Amino acid sequence: MSLRRDGRLGAAWIVILIVLPFIAAIIALGIGRMSIAPGEVFEVLRAALSGKHASSELIEKTVMQLRLPRIILAVLVGAGLSVSGCAFQSLFANPLATPDTLGVASGAAFGAALGILLGFNLIGIQLMGLAMGGFAVALTWLAGSGKDKGGLSYIVLSGIMIGSLFSALISFVKFAADAESQLPAITYWLMGGLDKANYRTLSLGAPVIIAGIVLFMLIRWRMNLLPLSDDEAKASGVNLRLLRGVTVVAATAITASCVSMCGQVGWVGLLIPHMCRMLFGNNHLSIVPASVSFGAVFMIIVDTLARSISAAEIPVSILTAMIGAPFFIVLMRRSGGWRI
Amino acid sequence: MNGQIRNDARSGDALLRIENGSFAYKSGPQILKDINIELDPGEILAVLGPNGAGKTTLLRCMMDMLHWQSGRSLLDGEDIRSIPASKLWRRMAYVPQARSAAVSYTAFQTVLLGRSSRIGAFSAPSAEDMKVAESVMERLGISHLADKPCYAISGGELQMVLIARAMAAEPEILVLDEPESNLDFKNQLIVLDAMTALAAEGVACIFNTHYPAHALQRAGKALMLSKDGKSIFGETTGVVTEENIRHAFGVEALIGEVETPHNIMKNVVAVGISEDSAEGPAVRDETILASVTVIMRNNDHAALINSAFRDYNHLLIGRMGLPHRRSDKYIITVMLEGPAADIEALSHRLSLIPDISVKTTYE
Repeated sequence: MSLRRDGRLGAAWIVILIVLPFIAAIIALGIGRMSIAPGEVFEVLRAALSGKHASSELIEKTVMQLRLPRIILAVLVGAGLSVSGCAFQSLFANPLATPDTLGVASGAAFGAALGILLGFNLIGIQLMGLAMGGFAVALTWLAGSGKDKGGLSYIVLSGIMIGSLFSALISFVKFAADAESQLPAITYWLMGGLDKANYRTLSLGAPVIIAGIVLFMLIRWRMNLLPLSDDEAKASGVNLRLLRGVTVVAATAITASCVSMCGQVGWVGLLIPHMCRMLFGNNHLSIVPASVSFGAVFMIIVDTLARSISAAEIPVSILTAMIGAPFFIVLMRRSGGWRI
Repeated sequence: MNGQIRNDARSGDALLRIENGSFAYKSGPQILKDINIELDPGEILAVLGPNGAGKTTLLRCMMDMLHWQSGRSLLDGEDIRSIPASKLWRRMAYVPQARSAAVSYTAFQTVLLGRSSRIGAFSAPSAEDMKVAESVMERLGISHLADKPCYAISGGELQMVLIARAMAAEPEILVLDEPESNLDFKNQLIVLDAMTALAAEGVACIFNTHYPAHALQRAGKALMLSKDGKSIFGETTGVVTEENIRHAFGVEALIGEVETPHNIMKNVVAVGISEDSAEGPAVRDETILASVTVIMRNNDHAALINSAFRDYNHLLIGRMGLPHRRSDKYIITVMLEGPAADIEALSHRLSLIPDISVKTTYE
């Protein structure tokens, strides 16, 4: 499974990257307060696909109504945040870039908190999140662009500023919220969790995430031009503004959709792309599909742990950090070194 | 004088031309004033000038990365601004300074990026793209670096990888920004030899340099910029002179000749900082006699030698060619009569051709 010279994935890796998320999903569908064997999970899924009912209504309901939407959300959020983290790292040629670099996540989280404060339902909260996420990035872009010199580093700086501005606004919303009912709801929501997953919220958020991922998969070789310096990239003969614009819009839309459905899930967007870079180098031909697959698997595992290791649900960003940080440090110390 | 007339006659179909290019940064002084250059296939142009005189700015304006305030760049007579980027960058390629280059990929993947203008947005490199990248690396002698990441190779190796990336676009014009700066003696030679070899194959090269000697040893044409915005363009021997160096750089320099076993190479030694800046070069138009002897070590560049003699046909008063069959080498001696500056220009042009030895004896 050595690396190929042209930066493509070898056949063995392609099989692994496709199969792994399915295996993880099927195992995760069986895990929970009611344990279901993989064989029964298969049967339920096959029945659902052919439009029939499974033998046990309880098992069918648990798998199809409770666990499946949640696992679909985990797949989308894991894959989406990883691929947009990967895109932002390359765009800014900065290993510390995350999906939140331009303030999207803070903006979306503020929108959602505001939605809770105003007593909106789940869909309303989700829409508020999407809108404010987009608004935050637009502000960042306005504040940071238009300078001749500095270019992208101005945008990163203004992203940090806009991000902290929206964090302050979140605190303000918390301050204004009713301490008995709204404040715990907001706090819990901000910690992130996939427990709100249902087919209605998915039908609103999933198309955006899927479209973004498909787009990145299609332009993944061209994404190799992203880390190049301005003049180098211009001399490639490619429309640089368009490439950067498409990257920002797609990564932002994915992130805002994720945050609006499940709150702030940290770490995935930083950890998974770096893991892929350690394994495959920096060529986007391989790290984009690898980020999608590993991101999905990682999120399925973390979310399954979040809902099954204790009676009460553990917020998912606590677990991503607790699993992610040590895992990342071990990987970093083992690998020979890598750069963006 | 004659050189000037020939240039004008050809100017209609030069491969690359800058017409009256002027540029100033916002709220800054005029950096480039009325730049005029032209370049044909296989020629090397050296751009010289002190720090801040606008060497890199000139290259960026020429390639339309910055926009000329007035004037324009023409590729085969067509304004570069009206050529779509994907078309332009198949014909022209840029080698950035190594310190501003991205280094995250392996050398081979970096070279492959040079094919970008020929690969669609939703596509990946084809087998043919891979073949081009491989053959370019082989031609430049860096195949052994292919799988190394660019941050793990030396500065000289990185410079060669960047040249390979540019050549992977199969361009007619190669633009190099200080290709030999920050390199040691040997790596400077490797990079400059690579450029000379590419020019001998017909690629027009433009390079910025801090070394007047490199201009004299490698480039047939030179553009010298000075801080007051003035510029001189022409054949290198007429541009890189002691007077012009004093004026542009404020340096008292001596141009001398070093005799190598094969050639006579020009060299520039800075002897001190000069206070006065004398204007204009002295014209040397006295008529003298000279003989030039050329020994060709192989027959690869016969066309280049013949075209040089053809362009200076008016100086020739005698010519003798002698094939030396036993060693498969060829000896040419020509007798010349004409202005010293023209004879020097011819002898310089011959000295830039690879794989031959040239010596000139003056009256």
